[in-house]
Amino acid sequence: MDFNPCMKHKVVRKAVRMFAEAELAPIAHDIDRDARFPWEVMEKMRPLHFFGLQAPKAYGGAEMDTISYAIVIEEISRVSAAVGLCLTVHNSVGIYPIVRFGTEEQKNRFLPAMTRGERIGAFCLTEANAGSDAGGVETIAVRDGRDYVINGTKIFVTNGGVCGTALIFAITDTQNPQRSAGVFIVEKDNPGFAVGEIEDLCGMRANPVSSLFLEDCRVPETNLLGRSGDGIKIGLATLDAGRIGIAAQALGLAQAAFEDSVRYSKERQQFRKPISSFQTIQNYLADMATEIDAGRLLLYRACAVKDAGRPFGAEAAMAKLYCSELATRVTNLAVQIHGGYGYSKEYDVERYFRDAKVTEIYEGTSEVQRMVISRAVLARRT
Amino acid sequence: MTAKQRGIWVFGDYRNYFQNRVTLQLLSRAKDLAKKIDAEVCAVVFGYKTDEWRGDVLSYNPTFCGVVGEYIAHGADKVYLADDPRLAAYSMETYTLLMERLVKREKPGIILIGATAFGREFAPRLAKRLGTGLTADCIGLDINSEGLLVQIAPSFGGNLVAEIVTPERRPQMATVRPGTFQEIPHDYVRTGEVVKVPLPKSLPGDRVRLVRSEHRPQRDQKLEDAKVVVCGGRGMGSKKKFVKLFELAELLGGEVGATRPVVYADWADHDALVGQAGKHVRPQILFSFGISGAIQHTAACNDAKFIIAVNKNPNAAMMKRADVAIVADASQICNSLIQELKRRIR
Amino acid sequence: MLKLIVCIKQVPMVSELPWDPATGTLQRDLAEGMMNPACRSALDAALRIKETVGGEITAITMGPPMAEEILREAIALGADRGVLLTDRKMAGADTSVTSHTLARAIEKACPGFDLILCGFSTSDSETAQVGPQLAEELDIPGVAYVDELKMAGRKVRMQRFSDNFLETLEMDLPGLVTVTTRRYAPRHAPLGGLQAAFAEADIVSLDAAAVGLDPEQIGAKGSATKILNVYSPTARKKNIVLTGAPKRIVEQLFERFDDKIGGAIGKDLKTERK
Repeated sequence: MDFNPCMKHKVVRKAVRMFAEAELAPIAHDIDRDARFPWEVMEKMRPLHFFGLQAPKAYGGAEMDTISYAIVIEEISRVSAAVGLCLTVHNSVGIYPIVRFGTEEQKNRFLPAMTRGERIGAFCLTEANAGSDAGGVETIAVRDGRDYVINGTKIFVTNGGVCGTALIFAITDTQNPQRSAGVFIVEKDNPGFAVGEIEDLCGMRANPVSSLFLEDCRVPETNLLGRSGDGIKIGLATLDAGRIGIAAQALGLAQAAFEDSVRYSKERQQFRKPISSFQTIQNYLADMATEIDAGRLLLYRACAVKDAGRPFGAEAAMAKLYCSELATRVTNLAVQIHGGYGYSKEYDVERYFRDAKVTEIYEGTSEVQRMVISRAVLARRT
Repeated sequence: MTAKQRGIWVFGDYRNYFQNRVTLQLLSRAKDLAKKIDAEVCAVVFGYKTDEWRGDVLSYNPTFCGVVGEYIAHGADKVYLADDPRLAAYSMETYTLLMERLVKREKPGIILIGATAFGREFAPRLAKRLGTGLTADCIGLDINSEGLLVQIAPSFGGNLVAEIVTPERRPQMATVRPGTFQEIPHDYVRTGEVVKVPLPKSLPGDRVRLVRSEHRPQRDQKLEDAKVVVCGGRGMGSKKKFVKLFELAELLGGEVGATRPVVYADWADHDALVGQAGKHVRPQILFSFGISGAIQHTAACNDAKFIIAVNKNPNAAMMKRADVAIVADASQICNSLIQELKRRIR
Repeated sequence: MLKLIVCIKQVPMVSELPWDPATGTLQRDLAEGMMNPACRSALDAALRIKETVGGEITAITMGPPMAEEILREAIALGADRGVLLTDRKMAGADTSVTSHTLARAIEKACPGFDLILCGFSTSDSETAQVGPQLAEELDIPGVAYVDELKMAGRKVRMQRFSDNFLETLEMDLPGLVTVTTRRYAPRHAPLGGLQAAFAEADIVSLDAAAVGLDPEQIGAKGSATKILNVYSPTARKKNIVLTGAPKRIVEQLFERFDDKIGGAIGKDLKTERK
């Protein structure tokens, strides 16, 4: 077990950090303030394979290993969690299900535009009555000849406002929702597909989270991923992969808050000393550093298990649970360390604080993660 | 060793004469060093009809008496002069060859070259040709107790200073940036010897040929050479407020620089970017308005001699590095400064 | 097929390098490394030549084993192969020795080259000397501070701004150029390229013996210059803080520093006290 990062991971981290500092850092504050999706940075990201991080080369992807992927998401999120969110949702829950469950024809049809970043992906599960309870989904896809006609409303869709390719979780038989669920690929220019208003959120504001309306939205049966009834299986596998990305995103947030806290505590003087010389602050910093390191190791372990081809659901849930909760703790401490300045928009920590909270909620709330972990733990033979 | 062998030579980089007085500055420093080791100070000039060369100097200096005369008036005891039509324009290969021959013949102890664009390319080639050491961009020169030239140069972005010597190889060589030393006032009563340097019958064919050369005099004063720089960051608030910095800079006779976020927000051109990926400034005074002080930016203005920073936040990195840290709204201070300067400058 | 060589250097990622006051040496291993920005521009220039008229690019670097990182990055960006010159004996070299080492390695690893491209200067030593000295060592023509270059058959056409002269020059091959960052912007490494550069890449590692170098002529041993002393330049700045109303602040500023500011701008800023 070698805990030292290999040269590749070091180089990937540095390359992405340099990109993020050069292209994203100057606008990170403003895109949050204005809730503006930074298209100009997306343009720069496209030729660099940010939109096809793990996708196979045959479809235009970079085919990166999962730790490299996590590093990319972490480094982007360290500068702008909202942009990191866009990338991880696109890669993990947009592209990944198609790669894992799609037919060759589907992969050829949908992936190239996605890996080129021409179409941004979104996974649409949540509805007004279906949050943690995926069984409450009411979006219905009715067979009509060789097509399906989809009706329903999805809410809180990350990337909703800019998505080009949406994966819609719908049921096909109201009598038998669990067994009849399916994931349908719907492109935005498809008639019957409309984007609702962008949500006005506490954090991740540069990400256009919105509702999606499907009104008599007709798609050919070749847009169904897998078979009718595969929905739950695909959904669960997709969320497992998504959790690794969210863990990385939360970690990036925590890392940024931590670095700012270290820097600030060395500069800020009170009682004629830098506050970093006070034990209380030192304790805070020690706790932050330890947690972040622990989260990172959990995350990379989940990545390694995934790459080894073994089931990684519990490990991913642990990483997501731990990293999201540490993100809220660390960003909260960061604001505290900055004192009054931490509450001001002149500093970045209040943005990290606002951004962090939702990592405990989306892609499976912390309560759901605990469900997943406890089930795995109880199922294991001791 | 004779005074001649302890000779301190200065390369006569005359083509930018008035804007760039580095040769005169080096001659003056050479004179001080020469006293310590009893050496003679020589200027080396390669050109064509240099005594007729005027450039636009006469508009500034009506008493200009030709390149050679000026060098003697500013401290040279001797001028080695090669005057030939083939030397009308600077030529790297030819100058390196001529200098090599001259050095091997006369064996000076020290050669100083101004760190102009030409000098910074010429000096390393020459040092390599002569098999000796070279220190670039010295900010100081001295002679130590062993009679060695101490070459004082910054390293690592100016955060550290190194004292370097060339213990064995000769000549000892250094390049020096314009503005590092002060020239002595010209003394037209001084006399000096002019030694004509003959050219070999055939010169090496130039493997590099100058196809076209356009003199672009310094009316667009580069940010990097500016003695006063006014830098603005996001703390200025808006493009309208940022633009006032140009007015301030003009009153101060300086240039405006900007940080990356400002360039990105299109408050200023990319040409104004002061940073690792932009320009490196070395002003006497740097005004820093509303800049927090990211490393990429501060690394590029570390060499400023005096820094006045303005920021609402007293803990910004730039404020900690400044000689004067003004805790206030950057835009308001900018406006107040403009008003006050207008009052004081008649 | 044009044979292009790009000399690149790994420099510390931050300008504030941790320095050990006890030994007077830099703690280089504490700082992460990155490809020197001007070297990235040189690589960009080479890539453009490859993209327009075709060519094969060899990236070469002299440094500790960690310098392999920038070769991988160069390959990710489009270089065809990399050469790592690494040997403890090479450490402490001044620019003249560095150029000697590079020259011998180039002759060994890429004979018959057409054009060598270097960054005009490095962000850590900033001497801008290695390029011209490498050309001198190889006895080839060289042009420094090139802003833009184009191939024209067996010649290179270059443009640069040199001491207030806008120059257009032409150079015969084989030759060397040092490239500024004015026109050639450093590129970001594509992530797919990085993945491939680590999966399979033609990188060869050479030590002093492999290049055939005389240990007495390389590294600190071969250097003509010697560092006597390194120190931090100025004592802590006085850091005077001014607060209050803007008008009052400006008054104070001029009260204390009117001569300093006036000296810098060449004007007398004193006023008569009313």
